[in-house]
Amino acid sequence: MVAPAPRVQVPATAARGEVFSVKALIAHPMETGLRQDDHGDAIPRKIINRFVCRYSGVVVFSVDLHESVAANPFFEFHLRATDSGSLEFIWEEDGGGVFRLEHQLEVG
Amino acid sequence: MGRESGVIGLSRRRVLAVAAGCASLTLAAPSVASASADEDAVELIEDLTGKTPTPSDRVRLVMPAVFSNGYTVPLSFEVDSPMTQTDHAKYVRVLAPRNPIIEVATFHFTPERGQARASTRIRLAEPQFVLALAEMNDGALLLAKTWVDVATNGCK
Repeated sequence: MVAPAPRVQVPATAARGEVFSVKALIAHPMETGLRQDDHGDAIPRKIINRFVCRYSGVVVFSVDLHESVAANPFFEFHLRATDSGSLEFIWEEDGGGVFRLEHQLEVG
Repeated sequence: MGRESGVIGLSRRRVLAVAAGCASLTLAAPSVASASADEDAVELIEDLTGKTPTPSDRVRLVMPAVFSNGYTVPLSFEVDSPMTQTDHAKYVRVLAPRNPIIEVATFHFTPERGQARASTRIRLAEPQFVLALAEMNDGALLLAKTWVDVATNGCK
């Protein structure tokens, strides 16, 4: 299997107090565990079960995902720019896989 | 001639009466369906959480009324909240009661730095009311629902 490729779309700069949009996407089949293979055997569940966004080390947004989130899970959410710092994005997969991205935000 | 017109008059009246009856039925039907759907939704949340939610306009759940592809149905929601330390939404839990697994996702928010709104894409197995349940910092549970008609089963 190809390693899931995460992507985010975040502004590089923001004014203090400004609300900005974050788009986060990861290429992932989100295998529900409800399907069967050609031999009639159940395909085990393998989904991204949690998404976390940290802003300067503090969790500011997170999602618990279940089977009904579409494949290639996509989220758009909004944050308020308080200070310059790192935005860290973490996707956790069933079985312990973790995928990360980091982004620097300059707040002027 | 006079008799004929009398017959016509009667049938016209009948037609009008039947038409009026149909109109009131069609007007009444959606509100009745919506009321029982509200009760079903409230009951489901009571079973899941042990608490009684309040259907509320403060939670807006936006989805297409009709969508062909059940594999990837767009969903957006917003909670009307200032998102201050003393007044904010803690989380929004999205449920699809007619999916094989009804839990869809729970979004957790932070006051001051966050906003109680998000968008994603979900799977739907069949036409149904999708629910968004927001818990506020004072413990209030606010509920919104929206009907989505999907043509294909997105859970197979």
